[in-house]
Amino acid sequence: MNLSWLIRSQSLVTLASGMIYPYYLLFLKNLGNSYSKYGLAFAVFTISSALVSQWLAPRLDRYSQRMLIASSMGMMAAMLAFPWVMSYSVVLLLQLLMGICNAMQKMSERQLLADYTIPGGRGAAIGNYHFWTTVASGIAVVLGGYLIDWLTINVLFYFSALVYAASAWAVWRMQKADRGKESVQAQKTKSVNG
Amino acid sequence: MAKKTIAITLLIALSVITYFRTSSADQNPYLVTDYSRLHPVKVERVVKGKEETQLIHLLQDARKQHLKVSIAGQRHSQGGHTYYKDGIVVDMTGYNRILSIDREHKKITVQAGATWEDIQEAVNRYGLAVRTMQSQNTFTVGGSISVNAHGRDIRNGSMIKSVDSFRLLMADGQIKQVSHSENAELFPLALGGYGLFGIILDVTLLLDDDELYSVNTETMPTADYVRYFMQEVKTNPDIRMHIARISVSRGSFLTEMFAKNYTLDHSEPLEKYSKLTVREPWTAPGKLLFQLNRSFDWGKTLTWDLQTAFFTEESGELISRNNAMRAAWQFMEYDQPDSSDLLQEYFIPVRQFDDFVEAMGKIVRSENLNLLNITVRYVNEDNEAVLSYAKQDMFALVCLFNVPLSSKGQSHMEQSVRQIVDEAISRGGTYYLPYAGYPSLEQFRAAYPEYRLFFQKKLQYDPGELFMNTFYEQYKGGGAE
Repeated sequence: MNLSWLIRSQSLVTLASGMIYPYYLLFLKNLGNSYSKYGLAFAVFTISSALVSQWLAPRLDRYSQRMLIASSMGMMAAMLAFPWVMSYSVVLLLQLLMGICNAMQKMSERQLLADYTIPGGRGAAIGNYHFWTTVASGIAVVLGGYLIDWLTINVLFYFSALVYAASAWAVWRMQKADRGKESVQAQKTKSVNG
Repeated sequence: MAKKTIAITLLIALSVITYFRTSSADQNPYLVTDYSRLHPVKVERVVKGKEETQLIHLLQDARKQHLKVSIAGQRHSQGGHTYYKDGIVVDMTGYNRILSIDREHKKITVQAGATWEDIQEAVNRYGLAVRTMQSQNTFTVGGSISVNAHGRDIRNGSMIKSVDSFRLLMADGQIKQVSHSENAELFPLALGGYGLFGIILDVTLLLDDDELYSVNTETMPTADYVRYFMQEVKTNPDIRMHIARISVSRGSFLTEMFAKNYTLDHSEPLEKYSKLTVREPWTAPGKLLFQLNRSFDWGKTLTWDLQTAFFTEESGELISRNNAMRAAWQFMEYDQPDSSDLLQEYFIPVRQFDDFVEAMGKIVRSENLNLLNITVRYVNEDNEAVLSYAKQDMFALVCLFNVPLSSKGQSHMEQSVRQIVDEAISRGGTYYLPYAGYPSLEQFRAAYPEYRLFFQKKLQYDPGELFMNTFYEQYKGGGAE
């Protein structure tokens, strides 16, 4: 059950990121006059992602679900901010923020995927996970194109922010289910012991 | 499994639909066209103009290889002026440096690929402003000069009046300084020359002071407009800029108008309003509304009503000249496959205005054309440009049509436009050449009687016809006769 919520929440994440990603590249290219400047924006993203991963690592097992929520909320904030950006330095700042979110999301999803599966029985679950997140991203990117054609790229950013918010809600829902399970488990243990 | 099958089928179906929806030639990224998306062709290559010497070498190479050269800015002209099949397109948008600003004499020298926005950003801090340009500021200076543009300013005439001089790279590789005193013959040819006389390298423009305007909108029946303009607008020297719109709403089709005047205002200091606006507000709702305007009669009524209410409500608002000369445009962006929003513009002698609007309305109705809006500007007489569109004081009616790009849709549009052009010509009017070449060769010749001189001079300065474009091919009519 929790695996389904993980898949749901992360399909929403790939939906949100998938709809913006290819167009985001165009958006960034328009900001920079040179390709190297545009490369730099991505380097900043990887630097913050790599650095923060080392701080997150020891906390991952304990806080992975919270990290997923924080990641989605952070991405939501970045999506809401992008249409208002008027300088390259702010783009770099947002790249920094998105790098942090990326580390939280990538690390937690892998950790939870491992937690929710058992060795020797992971193939089907990972297959499911990959299928749904990829299909979500595919649908998102086609619909994103239509959305920009009919409205504007800014609307796409806002729409993506909304989907990130939904993904945060789905993780929260998963966390709640986990806690419910834990308390049932605890009660069972208690009654057995008692 | 069933869920997965449904999901992947949905994604594949969506992709297939999108593939076929965007498979028309106007969507082909390997073909070159202009803003109209009409007549896409394969070109030899697109070269970014960077340096003067590079451009000279480029022309040398083209001559050697017997290739034609077309010159492009933002490619907002719509009649194939910026490309030619199998030719080289010189993209001048990167050739856009501001070279010097002479504050004392109010002049600026820029490379031709600079946009009006670049100029506004450069001169605004000195309290200076552009004298004449189109309503929007996204076009390149070279492009605007090549079409002898005009705009909302009613005191300065068309573009040609605000150009001091320019340097022109000729077909033989020579660079000529062109002004009213040097190589003066080339001035009214290359200005409004549609890229046929050479590559405009850099331009010195005359500037004006930035000023503060109060914007006021008044509505009126179309029948009152000429009197209103001649008696209340033209005679008031404080009104510096003016634009009007004619209703295309079904209930008031071509019978209602609103006029927007920009009147000099001294009630507050300019500095308070001189910061340049960089964001276009309400783009997404505007785009949606404009889509309704394209698609439905009720959308046209809604757009007209909201526009009129909005501008009337805004009456009294103060705005700097530089900010007034950066009209919104993003909400009109339209990339849908198989149809395009195309402009047509008719110049009509002031006294013939009512009569022409009525005649045009009949054609639009009987041919069932999807007319999205009409703006009206005033253009002063210009006897300088060889291909002058205003041999007397004129009203310019800029009409935006949504047009299918299919050959059937195009031939219908062509014969409809030709009827409208006939009405314009029969009233001593003309039409604007930067737009789709629907008018016939005969109509072109009737509207631009100086065409012989224009094409003769073209061959004199460029005997090998190195500078070539689809517009020239269409209207040169088998060479200068």
